[in-house]
This record gives sequence, structure tokens and C-alpha cells, in this order.
Amino acid sequence: MSDFSRREFLKRSIASTVAGGVALTGLGRNAEASGAIPWGTAIDLTRCDGCRTLTQPACVTACRKENRRYFPEPIKEISNYWPQKKTEDWSGKKGLTSRLTPYNWTFVQEVQVEHGGKRHTIAIPRRCMHCDNPPCANLCPFSVLHKMPGGPVLIDHDLCFGGAKCRDVCPWGIPARQAGVGIYLHIAPKVAGGGVMYKCNFCYDRLRSGHAPACAEACPQQAILFGEKEQMRKVAHKRAKEIDGYIYGEKENGGTSTFYVSPVPFEKIDAALIKQKAAQPNPKAPGFPGMAVDIENFTETANGIAWSMVVAPVAGIAAAAGVAYKTMKGGKKDD
Amino acid sequence: MTEKIIRKKKITRHGFSVLFVHWAVAISTFVLIFSGFAQMPLYKRYMLDRVPGLSWVSDYSVTLSIHYWAAALLIFAMVYHIVFHSMRRDFDMVPRRGDIRESVQIIMAVLGWAKEPENDKYLAEQRLAYLFIGFTLLILVVTGIIKVLKNLPYINFSEGFMLWITQFHNLGTILIIIGIVVHLGAFIFRENWPMLPGIFTGKIDMEYAKRRHSIWYDRVFAKKR
Repeated sequence: MSDFSRREFLKRSIASTVAGGVALTGLGRNAEASGAIPWGTAIDLTRCDGCRTLTQPACVTACRKENRRYFPEPIKEISNYWPQKKTEDWSGKKGLTSRLTPYNWTFVQEVQVEHGGKRHTIAIPRRCMHCDNPPCANLCPFSVLHKMPGGPVLIDHDLCFGGAKCRDVCPWGIPARQAGVGIYLHIAPKVAGGGVMYKCNFCYDRLRSGHAPACAEACPQQAILFGEKEQMRKVAHKRAKEIDGYIYGEKENGGTSTFYVSPVPFEKIDAALIKQKAAQPNPKAPGFPGMAVDIENFTETANGIAWSMVVAPVAGIAAAAGVAYKTMKGGKKDD
Repeated sequence: MTEKIIRKKKITRHGFSVLFVHWAVAISTFVLIFSGFAQMPLYKRYMLDRVPGLSWVSDYSVTLSIHYWAAALLIFAMVYHIVFHSMRRDFDMVPRRGDIRESVQIIMAVLGWAKEPENDKYLAEQRLAYLFIGFTLLILVVTGIIKVLKNLPYINFSEGFMLWITQFHNLGTILIIIGIVVHLGAFIFRENWPMLPGIFTGKIDMEYAKRRHSIWYDRVFAKKR
């Protein structure tokens, strides 16, 4: 990061956020179409140390403080997801910071990885990657997730039904569910719906008012850099070149707004994370993402079939015209 | 009209194209409803995926692909239908003035409370059902295509627009289910049973056609009432 200081990034990011804010307020919700600047972050894993000297990482503290107002306040008696005998209630674990929960939208994982004959301790801040083509937003059955101008992927907490499909189609299983809160309580809570999903919102309110996300601003190591997305991509590549390292988040899931730079291959980090997860008391519990490399976007297969909907009407016209012509011209009669 | 008499007792009511479109629409719509409901976490919660052979129903990647293929078949059949009948100027199914009043009269007649009016090739209520189902399918196809476009990389519609499109798609699903239930519900009445073979073989009983679809029957035989 020799010539890309944090100060420079903040300067650039504030300038661009102001520009984005103007576009947002001046041009309304279609600002993206009118050219709102996509934001990004570059997370330098050679700098992040998980804030060892603090009781919890500064990014986690800042995130919790910033987003406290969105945290769920569920009803006291939460029913199971009938006929299943389970529910997802994190309200008794609001202080948990070792995974993603509805009350903790970012956390830091730490793994030990052998690479190049050296043992590396890698601390990894984790949260929503804000994908370029987010399957969570695309596939939400009620369209209550949306990729906003500038790139943040947001959940509408007022309309979310808590089916957790967004988590199932997210390659990292990021969104966290809280039962006993949300619109489903007013419809048929015993038989449909599961609560509300929560995840990092890229500090959208802060972006709109010209500020960097709370995690980026709070990081004492300048490990989380924020700015225009393309600038962040360049930073990540430059840093990767400097340390002969690796980038994660650029290609995964079809591209994201988050670029991790690591001195060790992400395959090794992923393997260590999988091992760590398997050793947990409940290995299947959500909120502890891996870092599988080159993950395909969930919509890719379906998008490959989309051409059939272009061919279908053309084929329909041709076939119908052919048959109708034949029947009208005294061929085989048919109606 | 190109209906032809097959034997003394049967008359052709539907040709190949009508049968093809009906069954292509029926099958694709059924698959779309099933795979559409699969887009919610319904089958997993209600453990349908634990039924042997149905583990795939809670796999969104499988059910989404099925939804796309079925949508392509539905679009093909609907376009075929519109083009085929437009070219032939064959609008027997299109609702006419007075169809609502007439369909009430038919229902009253089926219940034995009134005299049934003379019917054309289709009953007034069939024409109304066609309009309802056709219009609902159009809503579903148009909103569905927008949803398909939204899934493509680099295409991102505004938040409010997608919210409405999705609610219309979901509402359309409820309406089409109601339409199908009412459509099939018509066969609760014995009076409508003779129409059933027509949608499988294309042919219906001649005497039935003469009695209940007299306007059409007479036209087929070039008689005027």
C-alpha cells in the first residue's frame, strides 16, 4: 500500500460518495441507470490482525454500534417452524461476535495456514460481499432484497418473510434469520414465514451521506479500504502483486464488491475454515462462511436456459404459421 | 368452419392444434405452479423433499431450471395459439356481448332452475373462462420474463418496480390456480361430462352437440335456425 494511503482512499471515497449521494437524491431511485458510482472495499489480510489487543475487533464494534437501530426485537414466545420442531432465535445471544447473527453483521475469522514453508495466521473480516449479480436479491420470492445504486444489497426488513432462501442461495450463507419478528407474524405465523433476514447493508445510510462504511472507518490497521469499486479492484491487484498474493471476491459468484488480498491461497484458507466449522459444537449452524474459490453464481444455470424464452416465441410463430397455412390451403383440415 | 363428421355418432370439436395447445399449456402450467411453489422454502419446511424420489424438490437450482424450461413451453404454446387462430380468423373462444348474463343462465339451467340458452361451439362460461385464464397467463408470462431478465448479469431493475412485478407474478399464480379449479370444477356437473372426451380425442358425441351446441351444430351442417 505504499502509494495508496488510507487518507487518499478516504479522500477519494468521500468525493465519490458525495457524487453518488447527489445522483441518488437528485435523480431518484434509478440513479444506477444514470451512472451512480459503484462502491467497493479492498480487505488486506496482511494488515488485519483481528484487533488482538482489543476485547473485540474494532470493525465488529463499529458495525454493531452503527446498525444497532436495525437489530430485531422479537416477541417473547416464538413458535417453532411447524411442522419442524425448530426455530431460529438469536435474541438470547445478542453479544455473540464469533459468527454472523441477526445482531452481528460482521465478524473476524482466524485461521492458521502453512504456505511457502511458513506458518501464517490469517484474520479475515467477514460479511456480505455485495455481489454484482446477487442471487439472494434475484431469487427472493417476494423481491424484498435489492441491489441498490452504488452496489449495496439491502433487505427490506418490513417486508421480509424470513424464508431464508437468500441464505440458501448465497454461496457464503451470509444472511442470518431471526424468528418472532416481521410481517409473517401478521399473516399466518404458525404455518408460513420464519422471521426476518439480516446482514451487512454496506452502511448504505452512511454512503448516502458521504461517509465510508463504519467497519472501514474504524479499522485501526487500515485493512479495510473503501472507495470506488474499480479503484478498489486496482488496489487489490497492486497489493497482490506486491506480496505475490491472492485475490478473493473478484470472480467468485460472478464478481462482488469486496476484494480480499491474502499472502496465502484461498483454497488453503477455505480448507482451514471448513475444518474449524466442523469442529464447532453445531457444525451445521449458519453464519460461519467458508471461502471456496471460483464459486459459480446460483443463477448461472438458469440464465443459460433463458435463451429458450427467446427461441420459444419465434418457434411458436413459425410452427403456427406453417400449420395454419397448410390447413387453410386445403391440406389437412384442422382447427 | 372446418369441422367434419367422423361417423354418425361423433363430431370433431377440436383439431390437432387445439389439443396440442391445451395440453402444452396444461402441462407447462402445472409444472410451473409446482416449480414456482418450490421457489419458496415450502417443500423443505413441509418435508416433501423427504418423500423417496422427491429430494430434488427443495433444490432451488433444479426447480428454477425446470421453471425456465416449462416457461419456454408455455410461451411457445401461447404464441402458437395466438398466431394460429389469428391467421385462421377463428375466434370461437373469444367472449361476446351478453356472455356474463348467458353464463348465469347456463348455471341456473344446470341446477334445473332455468331453460338453457342455445349454445355455440363453446358455452358462454367457457369463453369467459378462456378470457380469465388467458389474461392471467399473459400477466404471468410478462412478469415472469421481467424476472428472468432481472436474473441476468448486468440487468438490475429498480427496487419498487421489481417489488410490484413480483407481487403481480405471485397474484397471477393464485388467480391461475383459482382458474384451474373452476375450470375442472365445471365437470362436477353431469351435464358437462360429454364435453370431456373432446379434449382427449378431439371428438364429442353428435347427439350431445346437436342438443347443447345447436348453433355450432347447425353451422357445421350449414343449416340456419
